[in-house]
Amino acid sequence: MSSSSVFVVRRILYNSWCFALVLCVASCQPSPPVTQLIPEPEKFAKIIYPPDNPTTREGLALGKRLFYDPILSADSTISCSTCHLPELAFTDGRKVSKGIGGRTGKRNSPGLVNIGYLHKTLFWDGRADDLESQALHPVADPNEMGGDWPLLISKLRRHPDYMPAFRRAFGLSDDRELSPDHVGKALAQFQRSLISSDSKYDKVERGEAVYTETERLGHAIFFDLADEPDPEFHGLPTGECAHCHIPPHFTNQKFFNNGLDEADSLEDFKDIGRALVTGSVYDNGTFRTPGLRNVALTAPYMHDGRFENLYDVVAHYNSGGHYAENRNANIFELGLSNDQAEALVAFLHTLTDSSFVNNPDYRQ
Amino acid sequence: MKYLSLIALFALLFFAACQDDDDPVQTGDIATTIQFRAEYDDTDLAIQSATYAYPTGAELKATLFQYYVSDLTLIAADSSEVELSEIELIRYDDATADNIEERTYDVPAGDYIGLRFGLGVKPELNALDPNNFAADDPLNENEFWNSTARYVFAKIEANADLENDGTFDTGLSYHMGSDALYSIVTFTGSFTLDGDNDPQLIVTSDVLKALSDGMDTFDIADPEKQRVHGGNQAVATEIWERLAGQFELLIQ
Ligand code: HEC
Ligand code: HEC
Repeated sequence: MSSSSVFVVRRILYNSWCFALVLCVASCQPSPPVTQLIPEPEKFAKIIYPPDNPTTREGLALGKRLFYDPILSADSTISCSTCHLPELAFTDGRKVSKGIGGRTGKRNSPGLVNIGYLHKTLFWDGRADDLESQALHPVADPNEMGGDWPLLISKLRRHPDYMPAFRRAFGLSDDRELSPDHVGKALAQFQRSLISSDSKYDKVERGEAVYTETERLGHAIFFDLADEPDPEFHGLPTGECAHCHIPPHFTNQKFFNNGLDEADSLEDFKDIGRALVTGSVYDNGTFRTPGLRNVALTAPYMHDGRFENLYDVVAHYNSGGHYAENRNANIFELGLSNDQAEALVAFLHTLTDSSFVNNPDYRQ
Repeated sequence: MKYLSLIALFALLFFAACQDDDDPVQTGDIATTIQFRAEYDDTDLAIQSATYAYPTGAELKATLFQYYVSDLTLIAADSSEVELSEIELIRYDDATADNIEERTYDVPAGDYIGLRFGLGVKPELNALDPNNFAADDPLNENEFWNSTARYVFAKIEANADLENDGTFDTGLSYHMGSDALYSIVTFTGSFTLDGDNDPQLIVTSDVLKALSDGMDTFDIADPEKQRVHGGNQAVATEIWERLAGQFELLIQ
């Protein structure tokens, strides 16, 4: 063989090697995740999606799997769903929640209904800004999942199913890129899909159902219809509820003292709530108004689970609550009769959406 | 070398001086900030932290003051108009914040003779439900009362000590608004925006002046007058009228 023909052969070999490499890189490169459109009810202003975390088919499936998997806790006993059970509208039925090793936390587990619509802050005290960063808290909380992020990430990296799923969901080309942010993003995608808009309340609003007499009376109390020009409810006490629990999510996402504890001085609150974040004494004893969708399923109530049932909640508001200088001006003695209090409870039951709690898409 | 740096220094001084003197008058858009300042009896409004004297002898701690502004507009010297914003919610509810809410707009350079806005949510917008707007739009700040009463245009909330016993245990809650109450507030005053020593525009409003004009004072001790919500607007008409009448524009 002449030297030139050797060269030609080498050249061909080299070229085909390059070609093979290109082919391999293209096929090894994960295909981009498929955008998943989550339908939203017309009555709701649209969810604000963070530009760097659109919901994708792969991210959503991964987030759901993580939500139900105790792998996120230090001893693989606790998953997000331990404290956020779908059948209880993603609460846990406890006064305050119980985490790893039976440790009790300080606060009541809130429901996750329409949680993607709460774009201002998360937690009773508003200490997280969004679902992506919120998810990082429970994993490392010693009273919740007791985990350690570096350990968890290396566990997920070695996992035969999770690592490929993360690669697909976030287009990771190198396993070392996996970080807590990806776990937060996947969990956020799943939680943004938890949308409820088919309660009796919604159906009545859409003209597809009618309230019973009792529910109707409760609705009138909740929304202060006694003040309306229409004389039908004139003379009925006003509940003032919708100042804070305003539809469609039944929260205005703001922080208030609703009169739960007597405080002669603002320093007297056991759990200072919002003030833990702002450092302002005037926020002591204020908590974010919780949404009330599916509230009949989320007992016990308030940040510390102090009220066992909705009758106790309504009795609290009816009394005007306890004095504190920062008790909101819309909390005062309501003067509801027993029947009226019952009616208000009946209205709160119309916020239950059984198609939401039974939705197989939200289950494991 | 020494001379060179001296020359450089002179050149620098020269440029700096020029910069100051004939900073070329801008002709394009000027970023213009409007301050909305809240007061109580001509002092800076402090949410919760201050105790205010009320003309009837009671004392108040203010917890919330807010109002919507529609069609915030500057009126140019040639009487053409520049709309800065269709809707803004000006809200003071934070004990840790000051009494100034700022909004910045790009405004064409030029001579102006006034400023105008509608107090409240203008009827075209008041007719639209919040789901028509983005979740972070001012019209999605959970101020929509219901399908008949519509948006709450302005709120004043406070806790009052009526008996002077040191407890602020009487809640006052005035939520006002309806198409009929929508009011236009107009100011005249000349100023020039050219990017050089532009004036600060300050819109002030005073919570006490909405409740009392010195002659007439809203009777907060009357249980019938401690809250106005949704449908019972008649009770608050006098507060609303005083509120709409007391705005001031400062051009500093
Ligand atoms: C041990 C029980 C427990 C576990 C496990 C747990 N949570 Fe929670 N969760 C709570 C409690 C209690 C709160 C309220 C804490 C607070 O506000 O201080 C909360 C609050 C939240 C909130 C804020 C809700 C709102 O209305 O602001 C979200 C979202 C949430 N959890 C999601 C998750 C996710 C995702 C996981 C898994 C990574 C998880 N939680 C694991 C108990 C738990
Ligand atoms: C001033 C605002 C405000 C008003 C008015 C108000 N609430 Fe609340 N509501 C809150 C806040 C804040 C909490 C949480 C308080 C806490 O846990 O410290 C709450 C909690 C609740 C809860 C418990 C929800 C849960 O998941 O634990 C229910 C139920 C409730 N409110 C119903 C009502 C009803 C019914 C009315 C009218 C009678 C009403 N609220 C009036 C602000 C308000």
